[in-house]
Amino acid sequence: MMQNSLLFHQSSASLEIIGLPDFSNNENKDQISIISQWKLTIIDKPLIEGKIEHLVPIMDAFYIYSNLLINNEMPLYESKLIDIKADNLFIHNVVLKSSKSDVKPLIIKIGNSLLSDIVNCFEQLNESPKVRLKKTRVLKNVPKNLRNRLHNKAKVFKTILPPIISILTLILFSTALTYFYNPVEENENKEIIYSK
Amino acid sequence: MELRTITVLTKGNRVSRKSIEKLDLLLLILETIDLNGIQSLYALSNKLDLNDILPNKIAIWKLRNNNPLRRSYMNHNIKSNEFDALIKITVEMSRYLYPYIRNILQSKENSEKSSEVWNDFNNRFTELIYERLNINCMRVKKLLNKNRNDEMLVKSLLTLSLCISNHGYLKLKTFLLNV
Repeated sequence: MMQNSLLFHQSSASLEIIGLPDFSNNENKDQISIISQWKLTIIDKPLIEGKIEHLVPIMDAFYIYSNLLINNEMPLYESKLIDIKADNLFIHNVVLKSSKSDVKPLIIKIGNSLLSDIVNCFEQLNESPKVRLKKTRVLKNVPKNLRNRLHNKAKVFKTILPPIISILTLILFSTALTYFYNPVEENENKEIIYSK
Repeated sequence: MELRTITVLTKGNRVSRKSIEKLDLLLLILETIDLNGIQSLYALSNKLDLNDILPNKIAIWKLRNNNPLRRSYMNHNIKSNEFDALIKITVEMSRYLYPYIRNILQSKENSEKSSEVWNDFNNRFTELIYERLNINCMRVKKLLNKNRNDEMLVKSLLTLSLCISNHGYLKLKTFLLNV
């Protein structure tokens, strides 16, 4: 049976998805649900290809890394399969690790322009109605320290806010009461009572 | 349609002053690339059927004046549908200008010495800042410093280049509301 092939192209990067439709699900013949191969071609860089189970983690890695980058967080993503870290503001180091022990990791340096090309290729794949990807929950693949960092801000805010509000309310009420209390007037009242 | 007004000090699902400031800065960057930016923004609002919210160029200008860094800053209560409309035209314009945005990003990667494309971009951006923003403000002074504004410019260009997909509107909105 002829396999279907779809190409997602963005400037210097192109992503090819090869696979078959799931006929048991009454899918069209041009649909791809069973992916057998994928290839990411970047001009002037080595070809990146891998097993189907590697595609979604690699996509997640690029999504998370680019989000960290634009949100002023420390741009660093590490996993068993792929590491991405910033060399400087303009260049990023992508390390693709093989599951075979005798294969050396592939190191690719990419700039911001290539990074956005790659992410946009993945976006096209995600949005394509012709390919059905088995998506994982992104947070499952986020390294633990990174996941903690993402939740830390919200946690700190939630913990600190209630006591601060209560202290401020107390201060506000007690200062307001000092304005109502006039000791001179009270002494005068006492004097009137004694003179009676 | 539910119309929620945006107040300055609220967060959560409402828009903060910082979000409006960031969105206006992204629009300024797009205007830096497209010399006829204001006209393009208005043309895109027509194309996207946003005439009810953005009927003319002045309406766009008024909304953008909610940026506290603006020379002509006006603290109006910007409605969420107006904010959404501005995001939609930002995403659409980034889509059109993607090759240029990419080229500017690439110009900074290639060599350690300063590139002509980057310098032209930075010069025009600085001119626009002088023209539109309150240059007495410390944050604006930082934007004007050509040695220190690289990071802000690169990250803003990258933000624009990453929101060109069909889900770009949601991506950019999430980014702006989390500022």
